[in-house]
Amino acid sequence: MTTLNAWLLDPNPKSRLQSRAGQTWLSWLRFRRNPLAMIGLGISVALILMSIFAPLLAPYDPIAQSLPDRLLPPLTPGHWMGTDDFGRDIYSRILYGSRITLDIVLLVILTAPVVGLIIGTVAGYFGGWVDAVLMRITDIFLAFPKLILALALVAVLGPGMVNAVLAIAVTSWPPYARVARAETLTVRNSDYIAATRLQGASSLRLIWGHVMPMCLPSVIIRVTLYMAGVILTAAGLGFLGLGVQPPLPEWGLMISAGRKFLFEQWWVATMPGLAIFVVSLGFNLLGDGLRDVLDPRSAGK
Amino acid sequence: MALIEIENLSVTFTTAGRKVRAVQDVSFKVEAQQSFGLVGESGSGKSTILRAICGMAPITGGQIRIDGKPLPTPRGRAFAAQVQMVFQDPYASLHPRHTVDRVLSEPLAIHGQGGSDAKIEQALIDVGLPPAFRFRYPHQLSGGQRQRVAIARALMLQPQILLLDEPTSALDASVQAETLNLLSRLRAERGLTFVMVSHDLAVIDHMCDRVLVMQNGQAVEELSREALASAAMTTPYARALFAASADRMLEG
Amino acid sequence: MTLLSVKNLRVTFDTETGPVQAVRGVSFDLGRERLGIVGESGSGKTMTGRAVLRLIRAPGRIEADAMTFEGQDLMAASEPDLRALRGRRIAMVMQDPKFSLNPVMKVGAQLMEGLRQRDHATRAEARAKAIAALEAVQIRDPERVMEAYPHELSGGMGQRVMIAMMLIPDPDLLIADEPTSALDVTVQAEVLNILDDLVKTRGMGLIFISHDLRLVARFCDRVLVMYKGKIVEELAAKDLLQAKHPYTQGLLNCLPRIGGSRGALPALDRNADWAR
Repeated sequence: MTTLNAWLLDPNPKSRLQSRAGQTWLSWLRFRRNPLAMIGLGISVALILMSIFAPLLAPYDPIAQSLPDRLLPPLTPGHWMGTDDFGRDIYSRILYGSRITLDIVLLVILTAPVVGLIIGTVAGYFGGWVDAVLMRITDIFLAFPKLILALALVAVLGPGMVNAVLAIAVTSWPPYARVARAETLTVRNSDYIAATRLQGASSLRLIWGHVMPMCLPSVIIRVTLYMAGVILTAAGLGFLGLGVQPPLPEWGLMISAGRKFLFEQWWVATMPGLAIFVVSLGFNLLGDGLRDVLDPRSAGK
Repeated sequence: MALIEIENLSVTFTTAGRKVRAVQDVSFKVEAQQSFGLVGESGSGKSTILRAICGMAPITGGQIRIDGKPLPTPRGRAFAAQVQMVFQDPYASLHPRHTVDRVLSEPLAIHGQGGSDAKIEQALIDVGLPPAFRFRYPHQLSGGQRQRVAIARALMLQPQILLLDEPTSALDASVQAETLNLLSRLRAERGLTFVMVSHDLAVIDHMCDRVLVMQNGQAVEELSREALASAAMTTPYARALFAASADRMLEG
Repeated sequence: MTLLSVKNLRVTFDTETGPVQAVRGVSFDLGRERLGIVGESGSGKTMTGRAVLRLIRAPGRIEADAMTFEGQDLMAASEPDLRALRGRRIAMVMQDPKFSLNPVMKVGAQLMEGLRQRDHATRAEARAKAIAALEAVQIRDPERVMEAYPHELSGGMGQRVMIAMMLIPDPDLLIADEPTSALDVTVQAEVLNILDDLVKTRGMGLIFISHDLRLVARFCDRVLVMYKGKIVEELAAKDLLQAKHPYTQGLLNCLPRIGGSRGALPALDRNADWAR
């Protein structure tokens, strides 16, 4: 452990890998000092573990119905979160539902921020008419209420998880483009960009190698902070019956199903609601912690 | 024929509909292997001339010729291999997320030159940095060390001409001395031509053979080093600037 | 008479890789005089100036055996006590006026703000005092400057406005941290003359923090030379050229001179013992 620590904190790294690992380690040490961020990280890791080990952790099949056991209250032996109107164990359904939530989150991460980053940096770097055209397109997307646009898309494409993800991605890239463009504008006129341009570097090299790394932290922070929004939009689509289809255990869908018994059997809707709340909170805390570590402005000299 | 010829150069910026004439009708020539100084206070247009040479300022009149040939727009790779620049603030001129290794290998990659490992180590040694610094990030270096990295980067492509924009004004006095010594040594070893901008007459006097005093975008007076040291200036502004730098005289 | 007394001042920053000491046991006494603190970046000169006002944020810590201002214990003072001191009794001028003035407020409003809120002056009184302060720093058309926004002022003008603002409450001690470093040489001289006049006529104490040894020697009565958080030499400004410590000598010698030799400048050979 001490040798590893010494290797990581070596002031004279011997390779690219070592210097990068050392920087990451320092960031981690800084991140670790923030207890709320650590809680956020814990929740996010728990979500990932839950979804991986759902088959081992879940006592019941999330889809198999058992009508004699319907609407059992929480803390019933064998069903500590209770059962829903088809007698399915809510705890098992939430565990399996985390897989769907995670799938959606991952797919959105891989699409919207990437598109936003590219559009934002290109617009900010070139300026002029390129900027005007790209940012007006961004404005048009921003002008639509997000859920309405997603609904329209799903209505055209048909319900289902992939289409829900697509709809969320299409509606959520503009904020990333805005963030990336703003960051690019502050970086564009810096001396290190001028120096590299003076060396004959192409625009592609400058955007990819110099501008994007400076925009990445803000975009990553934005992603984690917005993750809660993604989960909620996905749940919203599920709730409206336009996302994942029954009998799959998607959290929004579960709330929608529980709505009918909200006053008598409150737990049916409350348990998945709590799950959404906890996971959204976790991502938000994580994002706040990452901001302190990654933000180039707070890192300073 | 002079290596750098600047003839009636004018640079005009347009900001918010207002025209700012940053440089007006400035002409000077720099012979090969000479060191030429531009001195003046803030807003005198001295840095703008360097930026105009590099194609980073809008030239609205006059001509810049290097080796007798007008410069192409955009400047292109051949220009990059001939002319390089060192910036004022070493904290701003190195990418905060690139290691020294990446900073120095980039010019080689752009110009498709190989053998970067050996060249980078040699470049570090040439500017007086230990090769062990190769994989450090800029924030792990002091201001003087960063400026050495910036100088090494400018020399990676073996240029003929080095443009120096206040290369030591952000550095401590002792580090300034080391950096100026390094620049003098590199110039002697490689036969470089310097165009150096500074607000500090003593630095200019130490480094340059000839100096152009500028004020409000206009050339005021061109002086040889001897004329500067013996206070033989003829214009009132050059004299005032000299008087304000009195504590930088030899005995003072 | 001692205005400010500092005994064994230490400033420590707790970082991920352990504590870093920026100031390591600095002691000095200040009367109504001009004291220069000189050093290179990282010598702890700025931190010393800020520590006097307890203006160091976490993760920084200030410790001292004693730090008193006119008999008042600064180390034991509560935050409201300090706020009453800052600005009113002890004022601070920073390096760059661009970062010290509020960019969206007219200069006049900023000058009058303190008078109106702290001293409950009427509008007319505050305005008269603000204009008087601008005149004191030799601004020729104070009426126009009152109506200007900070970005409309030149660097020298902005720094004069900063000094005027600091002087309105008539402080007993002014801490000036590189007040002229961002200015052109010709403007520098004017600003220094203004500061000099004010210190003399009002009988203030002045701590002048700078990296420029020659400037400090010309301007101050007494000079403290700092290196790596410690005072390595204390001397009367007029004796600067007879400095004994090799660091002070090195700092003086490594500067290029007009008409000097064009050979290599003498480098400063740092000795590890200096930091002990």
